[in-house]
Amino acid sequence: MINPPSDNRPAWCPGCGNFPILKTFDAAVEEAGTDRRRLVLVSGIGQAAKLPHYTRASVFNGLHGRALPAATGIKLANHRLEVVVTSGDGDMYGEGGNHLLHAFRRNIGVKCFVHNNQVYGLTKGQASPTSDPGFVTKVQTRGVVLAPVRPLALAVVEGCSLVARSFAGDREHLKAMMVESLRHTGGTVLLDILQPCVTFNQVNTYKWYKERVKPVPDDHDPTDFESAMRLAMTWGDEIPIGVLYRSDRPSFESQQPALEKGSLVEQFEQAR
Amino acid sequence: MDLLIRIAGEAGQGVQTTGNLLVSAFAEMGLHVFAIKSYMSRIRGGLNWFDVRIGDAPLYAGREPADVLVALTDEALETLRPYVADAGAVLFDADPEEEDTEAPAGCLCIPLTAIAKETGGSAVMANAVAAGAVFALLGYDLSALTDYFATAFEKKGEETVQANTACAEAGADRLGEEAAGSVEAPEPGDEAVTISTGTEAVGLAAATAGVKVATAYPMTPATGILTYLAGAAEAYGLVVEQAEDEVAAVNMVCGATYAGVPALTMTSGGGFALMVEGLSLAGILELPVVIVLAQRPGPATGLPTRTAQQDLLFALHAGHGEFPRAVFAPGTPEQAYRLTRRALETAHRYQTPVLLMTDQYLADLVMDTPRLDERLRPIDRHVVADAGEDYVRYAVTDDGVSPRALPGGEARVVLDSDVHTEDGHITEDLEAHVRLQDKRMRKLAGLTADALAPERYGPADAARLLLCWGSTWGPCREAVDALNAGGASAAMLHFAQVWPLEADAVRRAVGLEGEEAEAPEAITVVEANQTGQFRQVLAEAGVPMECESLTRYDGLPFTAADIVKRIQT
Repeated sequence: MINPPSDNRPAWCPGCGNFPILKTFDAAVEEAGTDRRRLVLVSGIGQAAKLPHYTRASVFNGLHGRALPAATGIKLANHRLEVVVTSGDGDMYGEGGNHLLHAFRRNIGVKCFVHNNQVYGLTKGQASPTSDPGFVTKVQTRGVVLAPVRPLALAVVEGCSLVARSFAGDREHLKAMMVESLRHTGGTVLLDILQPCVTFNQVNTYKWYKERVKPVPDDHDPTDFESAMRLAMTWGDEIPIGVLYRSDRPSFESQQPALEKGSLVEQFEQAR
Repeated sequence: MDLLIRIAGEAGQGVQTTGNLLVSAFAEMGLHVFAIKSYMSRIRGGLNWFDVRIGDAPLYAGREPADVLVALTDEALETLRPYVADAGAVLFDADPEEEDTEAPAGCLCIPLTAIAKETGGSAVMANAVAAGAVFALLGYDLSALTDYFATAFEKKGEETVQANTACAEAGADRLGEEAAGSVEAPEPGDEAVTISTGTEAVGLAAATAGVKVATAYPMTPATGILTYLAGAAEAYGLVVEQAEDEVAAVNMVCGATYAGVPALTMTSGGGFALMVEGLSLAGILELPVVIVLAQRPGPATGLPTRTAQQDLLFALHAGHGEFPRAVFAPGTPEQAYRLTRRALETAHRYQTPVLLMTDQYLADLVMDTPRLDERLRPIDRHVVADAGEDYVRYAVTDDGVSPRALPGGEARVVLDSDVHTEDGHITEDLEAHVRLQDKRMRKLAGLTADALAPERYGPADAARLLLCWGSTWGPCREAVDALNAGGASAAMLHFAQVWPLEADAVRRAVGLEGEEAEAPEAITVVEANQTGQFRQVLAEAGVPMECESLTRYDGLPFTAADIVKRIQT
């Protein structure tokens, strides 16, 4: 049997935006003081979804598009765990789009870090739900004609607890957003992370993003729905990064009487 | 002796309420009961009926002829009157507004709704009027019914109890002395009979086994379990979550079991089709996922409110790739209770998905059932509590079952839907792939050794053997009794577990092998599908046999008469 070589080094291209995301994630976990024994990383399929294998945590690397329902089940069963979804735009905004929408509505305390490179990497360069109109690929040969998904706007509309955006090329900002997400206790977090794909996206490069990303204005009130929606729909010459929205909806788990006496897994163990 | 009362009308007219009321009151009187409902996929209108069969001995199935028909609409009367036995009676809800129109000949006309409005102040109590009239018709003491009202409506207050009692009395009075007691009815027993539906039995078993998370996207005929568990959530400390779709439902269960609680989801064929990818996930992640598959006729949307056993081969083969599974198929509420627990235990013992197959017939039927234990008795999850930093999730073992730790402690618990190494991390090491695949499939030996043997009913040396699985238990059992009473020699073998099958045990049970092996002269496989799926499963399990198929796939359940007639012709 010819057995291909195998190791557990990241399967990412040199220069991939996933590298700074991974490094920053580890730093953010440190800074937020997250107990790694309680940390569960959940992902679907894609290059971003491999991140959980390259750090230290418990891991549920499930099906393509299904990270959120799995994360929801984990959080329901043991809401003492810090459940973080790290996956890509195809996984979260495409295949898993329906789950995303309903996760915002549910508002369970799962933190979603979406590596958004506006292209499908692992399947080699097709359009993603966030590809800009006109983006040409071997499948979308005359350019993308579908309107892009605006994940942050969807999150704001459905009352997601914390809605933010950052950029893999600004590690200080990214770390601050990740720390804020990890410390958040009010419900679902969507952190959209702009991430260049050095192999399949020659349009949305480091340079392209660097020229456009701009921190949200100092006077932005993230509890102001209309102001948040304006920022969430802003895309093009300027792309706002930072905390766009905070909702005051109670988290799903805080409204479950069954969880008042402790986590379900603790209660099961006590009953035995 | 036994008797069948059929209540029929439009959806929304209280057919089911009247039926349930009678079933509960009869059971309290110590009568044996068997009830099924036949309904259309709509909220109002159409034609629904509820069959309540009562007897002085246990009953196991429904039947076609009715002894009493309570028709609430013209359509009910027209459609169902041909199925009333010769000596039977028909109660018709006459409309007093049309008093000059001629009452249907031979019918006992009672303006149920009008009496309810007049006596009880609400049309809703037409159920009580009908129940009172039925009680009088059968010659039963009305106090048994009104005593039942006192307990059933206790929470709604004395006023409700009084109003319903008055309605029942008015119904009995209106029937008149001549008709009272004119239909011969079985003698009530000394002690109340306990009853259950298939749905309640599955729900109660899940709650008492310690299921903490139940998810589903509503789909008939599985929805009742979700509703039951929502009602039991507070008492048993569980969370019921309506998922956005079946894909989410099964993946939530995968997540919940990974985190350490027993969890389950429930659906019917179309929803199960959506869960197939998640089933395969549970296979490679080695998660104790339990799915209740409540069947109805397909393909596609099919007949949402009817019954079938068409998804057996689908359930056995669902999921891409190869992984071990067990499939249970209870025949009664009592079996449904036992096997739901066993399904959860088996899933945890072997860390692999388990399916429980029911159908609309079993889900909705009501029958005598020994009192089901309502105490919380959490199952053994077979988890290790002392796993340390060096823990790996998929250690290779002889029986294929690896020590299972939960996330949240010293051990990092790593799962991957990709092919992975023992530590759970993604790999393309093909040797590791084969090693782990072999490990998983070794569980099949244990699952097979633990498989439930089929249960026999009837004489050991019967000339004809009926083979059945799942909900056909009752009709087959009554068919065996009817055949033997008619001088034939018949027995049945019921499979409450349909996969894996232990081939030798099946051969012995059938009589194909063993010391006193005496193969029956004829073997008939009775099942509610067109292509004889269980017959194919027997061949796949290594027990091919000469047998004929007796199938039914019109959406209605088998009856004993149906089976007997087709065997004899």
